[in-house]
Amino acid sequence: MIDFIVAVLRSGTPLVYVALAGMIAQRAGLWHLGLEGIMIIGCCATIIGIVLTGSYALAILIACVLCILASMLLWFVIEKLKANPIIAGLGLTGFGVGGTALAAQSIFGSQAAVTAPFGAPRLGDSFGAFASLSIFVAAMPAVVALLWVLLRRTRFGLQLAACGEHPFAARSLGIDPERIRLFALCVGGVLCAIGGAELASGSLQIFAQNMTAGRGFMGFAAVVFGAAHPVWTALAALFFSLVGAIGIRAQILFGDAVPHDLLLALPYLATVLGVWISGRLRGGAKGANGFSELRDY
Amino acid sequence: MTEIHDAISSSPNGLRRRDFLKGAAVAVAGIGLLPQLALAQGAIVALVHTQAAGDNGPVDSMIAKLNAIAAERGFTPRIVYASDAATYETIFRTLGDAGAAVIVSTFNEVAEAFKALAPEYPDTKWIQLFGDPIEPSLPNVVTVSYDYYLGCYLSGLFGAMMSPLGKLGYIGGISLPPLNADANAIKAAMTTVKPDATLTVAFAGSFQDPAKGQEIATQMYKNGVDYIQTDSAATDAGIIAAANEIPGKLVSGISPAQYKLGPKSVAAIVSLDFGQSLYNEVAATLKDGWKGGHTKTGLGTGVIDFILSPVFVDQGDPALVAKAKEVWPKIEEARARILDGSLAVPFNTTL
Repeated sequence: MIDFIVAVLRSGTPLVYVALAGMIAQRAGLWHLGLEGIMIIGCCATIIGIVLTGSYALAILIACVLCILASMLLWFVIEKLKANPIIAGLGLTGFGVGGTALAAQSIFGSQAAVTAPFGAPRLGDSFGAFASLSIFVAAMPAVVALLWVLLRRTRFGLQLAACGEHPFAARSLGIDPERIRLFALCVGGVLCAIGGAELASGSLQIFAQNMTAGRGFMGFAAVVFGAAHPVWTALAALFFSLVGAIGIRAQILFGDAVPHDLLLALPYLATVLGVWISGRLRGGAKGANGFSELRDY
Repeated sequence: MTEIHDAISSSPNGLRRRDFLKGAAVAVAGIGLLPQLALAQGAIVALVHTQAAGDNGPVDSMIAKLNAIAAERGFTPRIVYASDAATYETIFRTLGDAGAAVIVSTFNEVAEAFKALAPEYPDTKWIQLFGDPIEPSLPNVVTVSYDYYLGCYLSGLFGAMMSPLGKLGYIGGISLPPLNADANAIKAAMTTVKPDATLTVAFAGSFQDPAKGQEIATQMYKNGVDYIQTDSAATDAGIIAAANEIPGKLVSGISPAQYKLGPKSVAAIVSLDFGQSLYNEVAATLKDGWKGGHTKTGLGTGVIDFILSPVFVDQGDPALVAKAKEVWPKIEEARARILDGSLAVPFNTTL
């Protein structure tokens, strides 16, 4: 049982961080479909950073900076160039997937996936069965709690929600929705960097092209399933990981008795089911402006 | 009047429609000229790979060998990643228009595009690695299939002899007929060594998801599996990472580039040297009398083999290395029997 919990935490933690990034953007009024692209930038930058600098802290710093820059690019395209945020997000995903492949090939040649000599610090033997998990797993509940306080119990959190729900009303009170959204996307950039770092270096220490394999989109689905609430979004992300781990365990236990493809599809079926349940509970997805009936970008 | 027209034809951001159309026309003309520009640089040998590079395996190997033969024979190499089946025909047609001498691509997914386009570009020689025969055969297309399952059979023998309890695993990328045949070959082999041996089969659903590979392998090892045969390209890195975390657990990989990922865990590889195969086939196109058809490649050709890792022999657990050396003559014996036809390995694509 403990092994199963470890497996869920190991696979779920990157998803939680990325989902939280999407959640903040959603509350600010942006449907963030660039999560996949920013996450893979985080993966790539972390591993390349470790290889080039030999320092994990510097690698994370590089990943955060690059992910923030990518987030700022998304903000610029949406807010200043007035692009459709969904199209811009998908474009950023393409940019991230293609750009990281290009970066890895340019720096290291095409002969190998990039392998780092070490990864994220582990929790260590004092954590018993959880020893092999990284510090990002341990930090995850604290990050969720922190975001809950920030978004639900502070003036800034209310301003952020106001920008998402009623940007015109927020503007009439002197709040600048553009600036708030920039801040939201930048915080999301840091979370995506951590999610990417956990995926690439939490236990693997490797960057392979397209290694996020749709996790950014699952994170976005978790935002919808979790109604952009910090705790529910994190739980939704963990739920998707739980279903994925069950699928893997079922493959191992049932062997060929159940089609492998069906078991592999379980997380995606759960994602669709989650979004459907979310729609039934809350009356369906809202417009492209998050919760808002008004467009302000 | 002009001002009114300008106002109508300009977007709110100041981009005039006429300017935009002019720019687009120039860009389209430039793109149209690209194949001609490529032609001017000399004969092209192109590799269109349908899995991403950076896999420590087949794709990287093919790229390296393409560059090598291009340098040796004075070709211009072109390497294109076709991630989406919808782009295959466009890519092949562009290369054909550029006068490519040889176009190499991989797997059955490109077969339809080959069949459609090869007759239109009769001066281009088309090579499909890991493909079924095209019926009727085309004069300028060669398809190459690999009996990889024979290497997997040897891996099954080795794994069963190395695993104290006879608990083996197999992790593939996606459940495809050739991969299913690989798993069945392992199963057939291990039961000849230990009748009660078990094989756990799982698929990652992707050839590029090392995190999923690690997850599956970790669960297999925790369930008592001692030896896993990988068959999932870049996903393999995660499987090897899982083996590295538990002392005594072994992996058989797919490429020599994986030795360094697990010096103590990657005991062997079922090698399918796509790069060597590409090199052989491209070199063959340069010979007089080359013609299209189907080539079958198995053990004993230098392309497929089951190889004990020299890095493992050097750095692995001494007891496991000693055991591997002890059982290896039996692997050699089985290989010889497959080659002389006295040992028939079943090819079964149904799990």
